[in-house]
Amino acid sequence: MSTHQNPPTLPPRFAALQTYIHWSLATETERTRMRNTSQMAEIVAFKDAMLVEVDAIVDYLNGFPLDAMPPQEAALMHMLLSLAEVAPAVEAYRQPGVIDGYAFERFKADETFVMRPPI
Amino acid sequence: MNKVIKLHLHDRYPELGKGPVPVEPYISAPYFDKEQAKIFKKTWLHVGRVEEIPKAGDYFVKDLEACEASIIVVRDKAGCINAMHNVCSHRMNQIVYEKRGQARKFFCKFHGWAYDLEGKLTGVPEEESFFDLDKCDHGLTRVACDVWQGFIFINLDPNPALSLAEFMQPMFRDIEGYPFDKITTGFQWSTVVNCNWKLALDAFQEAYHVAYVHGRSIADAIDTAADGAMPPLDALCGEFHRRLSIAGNPKSVYGNPNAVTAGGAAAQQAIADSATAKPIAAAALRAGLGSATHQFRKEDLPKGMNWTGHDNWLFDINVVFPDFYLSLRPNYFQAYNFRPLSQGKTLLEARVYYPEMKTAGGRFYLEYMKVALRDVLLEDLSTLERTQSAVQTGVKKEMLLQDFELLVRHGAHVVDRIVNEETKA
Ligand code: FES
Ligand SMILES: [Fe+2]
Repeated sequence: MSTHQNPPTLPPRFAALQTYIHWSLATETERTRMRNTSQMAEIVAFKDAMLVEVDAIVDYLNGFPLDAMPPQEAALMHMLLSLAEVAPAVEAYRQPGVIDGYAFERFKADETFVMRPPI
Repeated sequence: MNKVIKLHLHDRYPELGKGPVPVEPYISAPYFDKEQAKIFKKTWLHVGRVEEIPKAGDYFVKDLEACEASIIVVRDKAGCINAMHNVCSHRMNQIVYEKRGQARKFFCKFHGWAYDLEGKLTGVPEEESFFDLDKCDHGLTRVACDVWQGFIFINLDPNPALSLAEFMQPMFRDIEGYPFDKITTGFQWSTVVNCNWKLALDAFQEAYHVAYVHGRSIADAIDTAADGAMPPLDALCGEFHRRLSIAGNPKSVYGNPNAVTAGGAAAQQAIADSATAKPIAAAALRAGLGSATHQFRKEDLPKGMNWTGHDNWLFDINVVFPDFYLSLRPNYFQAYNFRPLSQGKTLLEARVYYPEMKTAGGRFYLEYMKVALRDVLLEDLSTLERTQSAVQTGVKKEMLLQDFELLVRHGAHVVDRIVNEETKA
């Protein structure tokens, strides 16, 4: 059963990034799939938008407890994690996926592993 | 044209020889049956960390096809960790169906028999209808279980030939005291690879492949000699286990993980050097500085880490026999198991553990490091099934190993020694 919710909104200070809200994904599994099923141009556009703001985003989010972020801040945090997810695509492979790599779907992140951090 | 190649690591271990190594053990079913009987059912196997089951009643279940067993690992009220077969004493149903959880007692879902956290049988519905049933005789079947440096190991042999300490210490006593307990943010991936477990492990116990398989990703994080080679700093082989020490490139973010916890000039240099080509990497390191809950100074590490004392030391690969790859860096570590499911199928459970980060910036840095590592694993995994298929064509009977592939040779040698040991009647 899937529940359809409105896309999350970002903190007002970062409202300009709302165009990229589809990169706000809570799990590694979702972020990896997003990266691997996007066009390189989409990845680069998202990366460019985030990179000019990255230090400001980090400064801003550092003001909130990591394990209890309000919804808007959590949404922005998930975009920051997506920026990390696309880093190898942009900085190593220059394509969405690992070159000649093992199929990403077969290498499953265990999202229930108990020692994962809360976000 | 012929260059004289100086072989030096192998010279220390003449018993391993320098000749070609047969590939039959990677494809033979009878050989695998012997590995199962003589290795996987007889030796200590890593199954997890104590932090996974911090409270009384916390448990997880490990299905070990290589041992034809399913094992419950649980912390009891006294704080001890117990391991027992997931097999009910009544009519053999599995006691626990869940992969992990919390229990006060284990209740069999078939007829309701109850066992406590030590495996003792404590409750039998309609007990009076059984015949001379003494509950004391019918607890869950325990297996040996012990902890080394927070790693939980089990051994299916009820009377292990060696204690866990006797097994680990000849090779690893010098790294006891590594701050495993401060590196508690863990991630896990798993996959089933269609190849022999030794073939999978081998791809991780040499750095000869780094310039090729990892040429676009982390090759620049490894210290490179003048001729472009990436020789290890040193290698050590023991009766069972083996170790390899590798130097990194401190100017890269990935090759200088210590920068995030140590800060200072090294961190600034890594940030500056990455700023243009790898701006996300540089941003992640900037974001992570100062966020870790502990400081990790190289000089505080146990003396067995970076045993050559190299300035640019990056990590040591430790291979704990038979299938546990434990790679230790100054402030994070990787723990992979290459556990056979059958002769040609291997379950890889790959875990990476980082220091806990207090801030969003630190978490961003961890994600950067984790994703980079995961993609490197996708590179490593990419060769395995191709290699297995190629081995199975049977056209080649032997592989040729160079000096820096010593650990591959040692791995094959140790397995073969045990598989072919005369059975003591
Ligand atoms: S099989 Fe477990 S109670 Fe019957
Ligand atoms: Fe590799």
